[in-house]
Amino acid sequence: MSNEVSKQTPSQTKTKLWLDIIIFIAFLVAMEPHSSGLAIHEWLTLSMMAALIVHLLLSWDWITEITRRFLGKLGGQNRINYLLNWLLFIDGTLLIVSGVMISEVALPAMGIKLPLGFAWRRLHDMSANFALILLGIHTAFHWSWIVNTFGRYLVQPVVRSFSSKQEKDTSI
Amino acid sequence: MKTIGRILIILVVFSIFAGLMVIVVNASGANAPDFNGAPQFRPEGNAGGIRPQSDANRPERGERDGGGLRWLSGAIRNVAVIGFLVTVIVWPKSVVKKKKKTAAVVSTDGKS
Repeated sequence: MSNEVSKQTPSQTKTKLWLDIIIFIAFLVAMEPHSSGLAIHEWLTLSMMAALIVHLLLSWDWITEITRRFLGKLGGQNRINYLLNWLLFIDGTLLIVSGVMISEVALPAMGIKLPLGFAWRRLHDMSANFALILLGIHTAFHWSWIVNTFGRYLVQPVVRSFSSKQEKDTSI
Repeated sequence: MKTIGRILIILVVFSIFAGLMVIVVNASGANAPDFNGAPQFRPEGNAGGIRPQSDANRPERGERDGGGLRWLSGAIRNVAVIGFLVTVIVWPKSVVKKKKKTAAVVSTDGKS
C-alpha cells in the first residue's frame, strides 16, 4: 500500500508485486470467457481466490491499522481507499458466489449440481463490469506504489544488468 | 498460526457476505426458475429452440469463439477502461501536486 502505514519488507513488496501482476493477467483472461473457454474461466477464477487471500494477507497490517483508526484521525485518501477496498471485496464476493451458482464445469466436476438461478447470471455480469471499474480505481489509488515498485524491482535490475554487461565489454 | 487465523477471518467474512447474498437473492424471488413446473428455459437438444434474430450470432455460454484475437481485443478494451480511470484520477492529482510544488518554490524564492 502506498500510504502512511505500510511496513513491508522488500521481499514482501516483491512478492506482492508479482502476485498483483499474476492476479491482473488472470483477471484479464477471466473477463473473456467466450475466448478462453468456460473451463479455464471457472477453474482460473476459483484458483484466483487463493491469490486474493495472499494479497489480503500481505496487506494485513494496513487493513488492521486503518480499521482501528477509521473512526478516529485518518487522512481522507486512506479513508476513501479503505471504503473502496471493502466495496471491491463485496463485489468480488458477489462475483464468486454468482459464478459458483451458475457454474457449468467446475462444480459439476466436483459432483455438485445447483438448481438453475436466473438472477445469478445477471448478477454475475453486473458484478464483473463493476469489478472492472473498481479495479481501475483501485489501480489509480495505488499508482505511485505500482510505478515505484515496478521501477525498483523490475526496471532497475534489468537496466543495472545491462549497464554492468556493457562495463564488462568495454573493460575487455 | 497467525496466518491461519487471518485466513480464517477472511473466509468467515467472505462466508457472511456470501450467505447474505444468497438469502437476499432467494428472498427477493428474482431467482425463481419455475415455469409451471418445468424448471427449464431452454428446450432439450437443438430442436425447437427459438432465439431472437439479433442473438443468432451470439455464442452460447461456454462456447468458444474467436480465440486469441478476440481475447486480445477484449483484454485491450478492459485495459483501456482501467487506463482511462487511472488517467482521470492520477493526472489531476499530479497537476495539483506540481502546482503546489512550483508555488512553494516561488514563495521561497520571493522570501530569499
